[in-house]
Amino acid sequence: MTATGGRRVRRTLLYAALIGTSLLMIGPFYWALSTSFKPSADIFASPPKWIPDPWTLENYRDVFTLLPFPRYFLNSVIVTSAIVGLNIVFDTAAAYAFAKLRFPGRDVLFFLLLITLMVPFQVNLIPLYRIMVRLHDISPLLGVGTYSAMIMPSMIQVFGIFLMRQFMRSIPDEILESARVDGASEFKILWKVVIPLAAPGIATLAIFTFLGAWNDFLWPLLVTNSDETRTLPVGLALLARRNTVNWGQTMAGTTFLAGPMILMFLILQRRFIEGLTAGSLKG
Amino acid sequence: MRASAIPTKTVRRRPLKGRWRRYVAGYVLIAPALLAAGLFLFVPIVLSGYWSLTEYSGLGEPEWVGLTNYIELFGNDLFLKALLNTFLFVLIGMGIGPVLGFLSALLLNSTVRFRGFFRAAYFVPVMTSLVVVATIWKILLQQQGVINQALSFFGLPGHAWLSDPSTALPAVVATSIWQGFGFETVVFLAALQGIPRELYDAARVDGASYWQQVRHITLPAMRPTIMFVYIIGIIGSFQVYDQVFVMTEGGPINSTRTLVFDLVDRFQQLELGEASAVAYVLLAILAFLSYVQIFVFERERG
Repeated sequence: MTATGGRRVRRTLLYAALIGTSLLMIGPFYWALSTSFKPSADIFASPPKWIPDPWTLENYRDVFTLLPFPRYFLNSVIVTSAIVGLNIVFDTAAAYAFAKLRFPGRDVLFFLLLITLMVPFQVNLIPLYRIMVRLHDISPLLGVGTYSAMIMPSMIQVFGIFLMRQFMRSIPDEILESARVDGASEFKILWKVVIPLAAPGIATLAIFTFLGAWNDFLWPLLVTNSDETRTLPVGLALLARRNTVNWGQTMAGTTFLAGPMILMFLILQRRFIEGLTAGSLKG
Repeated sequence: MRASAIPTKTVRRRPLKGRWRRYVAGYVLIAPALLAAGLFLFVPIVLSGYWSLTEYSGLGEPEWVGLTNYIELFGNDLFLKALLNTFLFVLIGMGIGPVLGFLSALLLNSTVRFRGFFRAAYFVPVMTSLVVVATIWKILLQQQGVINQALSFFGLPGHAWLSDPSTALPAVVATSIWQGFGFETVVFLAALQGIPRELYDAARVDGASYWQQVRHITLPAMRPTIMFVYIIGIIGSFQVYDQVFVMTEGGPINSTRTLVFDLVDRFQQLELGEASAVAYVLLAILAFLSYVQIFVFERERG
């Protein structure tokens, strides 16, 4: 009797803690959403208004006239798709060679790449910026202020190569050998045999590359100089940093940024979690 | 050794041609990656190191000054403040974050319904851009914001969190802990679920209490995962920038100026030499930590 009573108290406390934490994690997003529909007088109302009453769309209208958010969105889509596409091709190709082909210098080259995992991006930031300035001098279509400045430094990721290599190693050599015996070229083997087998790994690679590129901030902030190429996080940060922040508009921008991502996460939840925790799985 | 992996069948059929064909294929496949790594990783790393030893504004030629930039940095109040703030950020954040994540993973690992729901809820901030997270917490932490209203509901005084130099950094740390919490929880939870149940059953038979089980079974089994979370967390924390940019712009009175903030600031003042030196200080710190990590790992493996 007391045992089950104690158990019931423990269960209640457990669920209270779990639900409390969930509210703490979701609440701030709800607050952003709710604020985005409030007239400015209600935003800091006391007591707080949890449900906008009256509600309005003027924050969205104003923020979209103030800043070209659809353009930012398009820029984010272009830059992110290019980075994801390039990484899928180049990381996978390199990973296959490092995992399954034998050639002189292979292990030394792979080790050299691995060392750079230790180097934070900020160390490369200034020279990269100068390289992008030079590129822009050579051709106005390249370098600072263009998409290429954001895409090129992220066209491969050493961590992506590392992860895919781990993945490729689980493919049995016998399958590749029998394809070779049948006279298939290495590229054909990669395309017809390896890629289908590595598809789940490629999905993981695509998702963590996507999230990294979509959420990237410092580099796009530095190499964009107009709304032509600014991405969503850069646009939002500039909005949130204005001298007199208009919170309704800022929260409308925030919702526009976070909303689609959260929806996508809810749909592809398992894949997203796998993608973002990929490094730990190999422990 | 090379030939041993190739079944003799293949070798007999195309003794040399096959091998060369594979060499070429290997080089062709890694070429784009190596080219990109060379241009966007290796060249910048070397250039950055060279520029840190020069006086360089980006215009004209870098002028060799030896270690002057480093010496000046370690006598420069702004840099020292940034260094101190970054260490505080890492220490507080890493002191609290993973512990909370571990505890929440323990809770989720008990027989719980809707585990998937809770896990997803905790994970939402992880995949959201830091700019979004920082913007939301900036509004929550305003003088008339929800957090102060909640405090006053409980009879506690409100506070201008982000404009008081003594609370701005803790506020930025709290935001970062909140953002990373779901990641730590999910990674710890996955590791917890990999521990064989029999270990706990045996311990329970021996009369071990819950906390004894955590201490003698869970913690030792989770060591690699705990290391992983701390390494990833520490390396990431040393690079903190986005939150600071959005929430405080390094202020008030430089109380949230971090190493990367300092680096970018000097870069924008066209002090490329000093900015590169800051970059190399950051690199040195992370290299030292990686060395310690490898050292500890190796020693543990025996």
